[in-house]
Amino acid sequence: MKTSKPNSWVIYLAASVMIAVAFSGRLSGQTAAVKLPGGSSGSGTQWCLQVERIDPGQVDLAHSFQVAIYENLLEELNKTKRFKYVLREGDSKASETPDLLILKTMVVKYTAGSETKRAVTTVSGATKLTVRSQLLTREGRIVLESTVNGNVLFFGSDLRATHNLARNIAKMIKQSAGLGSDQLARDWQPSLGW
Amino acid sequence: MYRLFVLRNDKSDCVGGRALVSLWALLLCAGNSTLAQSTAPPVSPNAPFSIRATHLLGFPNSKNNCNGTLSIKDDTLRFEQDAKPGAEVKIASVQGEFLGSESKQVGGTPVKVGKAAAPFGSGRVVSLFAHKKYDTLTLEYVDGDGGVHGAIFQVHKGQGELVRNELVARGASSSPGEAPPTKQSTSEVAHEDK
Repeated sequence: MKTSKPNSWVIYLAASVMIAVAFSGRLSGQTAAVKLPGGSSGSGTQWCLQVERIDPGQVDLAHSFQVAIYENLLEELNKTKRFKYVLREGDSKASETPDLLILKTMVVKYTAGSETKRAVTTVSGATKLTVRSQLLTREGRIVLESTVNGNVLFFGSDLRATHNLARNIAKMIKQSAGLGSDQLARDWQPSLGW
Repeated sequence: MYRLFVLRNDKSDCVGGRALVSLWALLLCAGNSTLAQSTAPPVSPNAPFSIRATHLLGFPNSKNNCNGTLSIKDDTLRFEQDAKPGAEVKIASVQGEFLGSESKQVGGTPVKVGKAAAPFGSGRVVSLFAHKKYDTLTLEYVDGDGGVHGAIFQVHKGQGELVRNELVARGASSSPGEAPPTKQSTSEVAHEDK
């Protein structure tokens, strides 16, 4: 009876030490992950990205939509963790950054929808946005170019289309091969201009 | 009878003159009151200004789609969520302010659930009436590094203009070549660049 008490204390102590060690390891892992965003790309250069304001082109797009696309893009691109920094247009830090890519977005097509129409009819009133996104190097060489859509078909406000669009652009950039490697600027041939 | 007529005739000049004078006075008063209504109320430079607003996106340290108070005091634009510390931006850094209008569904989740629960899709009829028009105020401002930010606020109809006037009166640069407020909830019109 007397020997079992000290034994249980030893077991408790050992368990608490193990738990403490396990948690400390986990925490240090988390801090390391924070220190190295997008570290999965390995030894390649981590590029910085500067997002330019949305070019409405020939389309009569409300300023709120342009600003919403821009802000959502910054948020979604930050989430991808593919880039060392995601900078805004006009940010003075961009001039000091050696490995900089520039994201240009131009609106190609816009179909204004209506939340009320969507709610009443379900099949009409969709808000549709189509943009052409270009990823360029500082020298103006096109690295990646794609046309991306963002729609609200059934539920949600019209501005939700900008969120969906930004998410699709970020997804497209994330899935594109070669980003994060040294070969990036050399491998891609200049493709179509605007 | 003739005498009466003559008497009236004699007085007619005097009465006509009085009527003319009183008519002039009336017109002058009406003109003045109309003028006073059409011009914006005088903005005293240091008087605090605040309205209820919904932050849609973009303002620093503020949650998206949250209600709060948008206030202007001295040279600062501030958004305060209910019972939470606010975020602020210097008015001098605001580079553009744009107005828009939006029609949104009201009632939130209870109305949505009610609509879904109504038999034979009759809940859709509710959508026809359960919407309200709002003003959207889109702001563009720069941070300390020169990076461009955008923020969108939703305010009650007619209040967007007040905020914009207040901002311009306190030193925000007025938007270059601003078009009249654009409607986001219009019938479907496709704009394509050619």
